[in-house]
Amino acid sequence: MIIETENLTKVYPNKVAVNSVNLSVEKGQIYGFLGPNGAGKSTCIKMLIGLVLPTSGKGQILGRPLGDVRARMKLGYLPELFRFQEWMTGEDLLDFHTRLYRLKPDKERNTRVLSRVGLLGQEKYRVGGYSKGMQQRIGLACALLCDPELLFLDEPTSALDPIGRKDVRNIILALQKEGTTIFLNSHLLSEVETVCDHVTIINKGIVVKSGAMNELLMENLTLHINCDMLSDQIILLLKQKFDSELKPQQENGNLCITLKKKDQISEIASLLITKGIKLNELKPHYQTLESVFLKVIGEESGE
Amino acid sequence: MIAIISSTFKEVIRKKTFIVMGIITILFIIFWAVILNYFQDAHLSEKNVTFNSLASIVLTQTVLQFSSMLMCLITIVLGAGAIASELENGMIHAILSRPLDRMEYIFGKLFGLSILIAAYATALFTTILLIGRIYSLDTITMLTFDQVFEGWIFYTLVPLILLSLTICGSIRLKMISNGLLMIFIYILGNIGGMVEMIGNYLNNKAMDSSGIFLSLISPFHTLYTTAEGILLPSSGLTGEVMRVTGGLTGRGQPASSVMFIYIIIYTLGFIALAISKFRKIDINS
Repeated sequence: MIIETENLTKVYPNKVAVNSVNLSVEKGQIYGFLGPNGAGKSTCIKMLIGLVLPTSGKGQILGRPLGDVRARMKLGYLPELFRFQEWMTGEDLLDFHTRLYRLKPDKERNTRVLSRVGLLGQEKYRVGGYSKGMQQRIGLACALLCDPELLFLDEPTSALDPIGRKDVRNIILALQKEGTTIFLNSHLLSEVETVCDHVTIINKGIVVKSGAMNELLMENLTLHINCDMLSDQIILLLKQKFDSELKPQQENGNLCITLKKKDQISEIASLLITKGIKLNELKPHYQTLESVFLKVIGEESGE
Repeated sequence: MIAIISSTFKEVIRKKTFIVMGIITILFIIFWAVILNYFQDAHLSEKNVTFNSLASIVLTQTVLQFSSMLMCLITIVLGAGAIASELENGMIHAILSRPLDRMEYIFGKLFGLSILIAAYATALFTTILLIGRIYSLDTITMLTFDQVFEGWIFYTLVPLILLSLTICGSIRLKMISNGLLMIFIYILGNIGGMVEMIGNYLNNKAMDSSGIFLSLISPFHTLYTTAEGILLPSSGLTGEVMRVTGGLTGRGQPASSVMFIYIIIYTLGFIALAISKFRKIDINS
């Protein structure tokens, strides 16, 4: 595991920010970390990086205990609050972070990361004169200097336009191909849904949902069927095998079944065909990450 | 750590602080040269030899004290926000998430500013002495190399010790609060010097002890007095004048050996406290 935590907890005098969080991130994953504002996401990330000290619990990152400086040699982090030394030029900033990574300044490396984030040619200008989007891009370039094994991106596209977001999405996917593990915190659920393999949702400091992306989206998969009118016997069979709360078929032949697994779609199709039913339409409706998120957070809030 | 030292150094130079520092210093130097020019033009030496000698002492003492105060204020301006501002604006997140121990960060800030302040103090001290020499000021032309060297050491140590305290304050306090507190502590030392001088003059032990107590809280003035004592030795007529005038901030006793040990512990103590505090804080702004 690249990241593993056990009961990671952070308690402030007035609130519990993170409560017994257990995370397991595998090498090469793009791990989405979601939650509403104030859920404890950033505190959790900061504990993993060593900026915030845990009150209790333990964990390891890149094979070293939390807070170990050596683990950060191959760790990139783009903070949510991307403030950089405005008096430096883009090139100065890259050289500064290169030295912080204990590497020798290297023009070729600078060119590579600048080109990757789309800032090549802008490095001679002062960071203070950069737009917010450019500042976010230079922050990402700094995080990529060490060829990270693990990259933390805390709201990496908050200041970017749609093209910039797409660029970052492509960078994330390219990095994954190169073997980098990415820990992504973003409010843009569609973005997370597109790139992440695994998602953890946190609310009020507690993990409320965690799982592989495809499994989460498959939960409560609904199958819309349009077919000949089914006999009571077949309806009963469908209820017993697939969906106990199946509602009666509508007069126009529409029927909606909630499934637990994707494999059940072919099972239903086979069953209906063997019973001699004419199938007009068989359309699965997957959940979106947004609906999963809203459902989980809504349930937690008692809404 | 080298990265932090170098960025701290470059930051001061590239930001407006350096320009403001430069303008204030140049004005101060011009002020010093103009006063000496008037002093020379008055041809006091031809009229009253005794007064010339007294005036030289008072002038040298005043300019040294004023330059030391200027240096300390600049130290507070640079040090008060050294860490506090990066904590406040969140810039520190990207720095401390790199393979950098928090102790290295503190030392980087401390050394970066120390080099700059020591260079500034040296330049200011040298310029004051050079201008004094150009205008043939008795107090300066009579100085031996040993006096200049020892005086320079103690003169430079004053802002450096103040910096250790300011950096420590910068971890817990916001930039402005820290700056105000440091100015208060610095002034406290000068008040201590004045109380000690009056206590000495009146032979009042209670006042003397109060002055010493204030010097323990703020030993900067004691250290400065040591530098001044080396550069303007208190003997004969000179000593009498200095006892009476006291300069801008009064004149306490130079640091004893015990006081030197205390100042070393004071400095190292605040550096250790800064490191210990900084290692325990959550970077969560």
